[in-house]
Amino acid sequence: MAGWDELDEALVDYTTSCNSNERLRKMQRDWTRTLHFICSDTDDTFTMVVEAGEITGTPAGHQGVPDIVVTTDSETFCDMFWGDLNPVAKYLRGDIAVRGSQEDVMRLDAISYVIWPDA
Amino acid sequence: MTQPGTGEIHLRRSVGTATATATSAGLAFAAIDYLGVVSIMAYAPGASGWLAIGIGACLVFLVAGVFSELNGLYPTAAGIRLYLGRALGTRTALTVTFTYMTTVVLVIAADAFLIGAALRHVLHEPAGLAYLWIAILLAVATAANLRGVVLAGWVQTVVTYVVLASTAIVSLIAIFHVGGSFRTPLHLFGAKPLSGIQAIAFALFLFAAFEWVTTTAEEARGPKVISRALFLAPLLIWATSTLFLLGLSHLVPFAALHHSPYPQLLLGQAALGSVGELWMLAITVLTALNTFNGGFLVASRFIYAAAREGNLPPVLARLNLNAVPWVAVCTLATASAVLAAVIFATGQWLLLVAVGATLEAGIYALASASLLILRRKEDRDRPFRLRGGRGLAIAGTAIFSIFGLATGLADPADSSHFSPTPLLVILVLAAISALYVNFGVPRVQAATAARRAAAARPSRRPPRPAPEAPPSDPTVEPMEP
Repeated sequence: MAGWDELDEALVDYTTSCNSNERLRKMQRDWTRTLHFICSDTDDTFTMVVEAGEITGTPAGHQGVPDIVVTTDSETFCDMFWGDLNPVAKYLRGDIAVRGSQEDVMRLDAISYVIWPDA
Repeated sequence: MTQPGTGEIHLRRSVGTATATATSAGLAFAAIDYLGVVSIMAYAPGASGWLAIGIGACLVFLVAGVFSELNGLYPTAAGIRLYLGRALGTRTALTVTFTYMTTVVLVIAADAFLIGAALRHVLHEPAGLAYLWIAILLAVATAANLRGVVLAGWVQTVVTYVVLASTAIVSLIAIFHVGGSFRTPLHLFGAKPLSGIQAIAFALFLFAAFEWVTTTAEEARGPKVISRALFLAPLLIWATSTLFLLGLSHLVPFAALHHSPYPQLLLGQAALGSVGELWMLAITVLTALNTFNGGFLVASRFIYAAAREGNLPPVLARLNLNAVPWVAVCTLATASAVLAAVIFATGQWLLLVAVGATLEAGIYALASASLLILRRKEDRDRPFRLRGGRGLAIAGTAIFSIFGLATGLADPADSSHFSPTPLLVILVLAAISALYVNFGVPRVQAATAARRAAAARPSRRPPRPAPEAPPSDPTVEPMEP
């Protein structure tokens, strides 16, 4: 079970990795979304705000109306944001639940794929 | 945002019942459905095909119930892959899903061919030019997909309702047109009982792919939206197809229909002259919007996910700068163009209908069997529970297996003969899928593992600090080592 401090550390690293990747920024240039995350084991929640492909904030709690809602346990979130697991495999096994359009779900996975193609 | 008290999550953009119903009906109602109606007429004498479509629709309600419960258990875009995986095992699920995805290529190729043939006919061009139209259509669809163009939900909804309403209106005009007649409207099982069963089996094809709406479960406004769509869409398809069949049987001689790839144009011509023909041509072209948009999108994203998961070569997951899996899209387009060329060269478009009908009946049988197994494995609550589920699932498995055989052994070119060709095509596709899943997938996964080992990528996540030792109690003597 990962605490908020661990999650926050992972999110900071994820934000830096995403925002500094030029190819990803170009690919996501038309992607402006609000993502809500729910840790099923700790009930922690947080938000990720993406504007034109740039992650502009990852505050605790839920803010705004979401385009995508992702639910899984806190350990999986940590591993996902550190690039240590393949989100698609977890998603196809039903371990990660997502609410949102298929296109947005694919975009979310594409982020991990572009930053960590070998994960 | 979670709605207090309801447990429902409200998204900024979500799909309601009208859009989900249009999605379901739009995925099912392609240009090849017009040929599906003609295939029914080949086995149901006179106007009796309406009975076959009616019985087919009742059976599709059973399928809707099965998929509603399965979707309630696993509301995810991974849909059928997950149900089959949980019920029958991962390898079987992958084999079936790969085979099932070939229907997408089949429908895209068939639609490209049918629209090309219809355009050539109306423009009075030489037969050879039909393939040029096919190539142009596929090239436009591929280019739009590669640029990341996705039809907005409302456009898809409008297109679907326009296609269904126009087909129904032209059919109604044909039904009330002076000069035609309805022959043997109740004679479905009169000539040969087996022909009646084959007519019903072909009627199932008209609804094929309506269940793909379950892949939008994650964007539905509530858990019941998909269930409602699964029951409403077959009603729309039933009404439209029945009117189309009655219109055809009233005004157009079957001999003219049976070897024509554009029966809808013949109906338009018979009902309203050139205006009707052009109207039906426009409607035929419109069906391509849904088929190409939905087909390319569903199949390319499935290929991307399978490649990311390690079940297909990683090259198929490559993304272009529009975040589109371009290798997957180009592979689909190439496969569709080759298949369309084969149809064009051989004129075997009715074989596609038989193959599609057999595949779909097989999927319905497997879905029913999955429900039966998952009823034993999963006892958690679901938003929809099929009443009499166990009995109906057993009946569904048996009935759809029989219907699968009925179309799999049909000779679409001559309804008085049997031919194993449709079944053989599917068995070959399934054998290729099974061989790939059992021998190809382990190799792809081994190659991926070797690549990762060679890269020696360490875990990026920092190790969690060891928990601090509790402060020692000065009153307790330390133990001797």
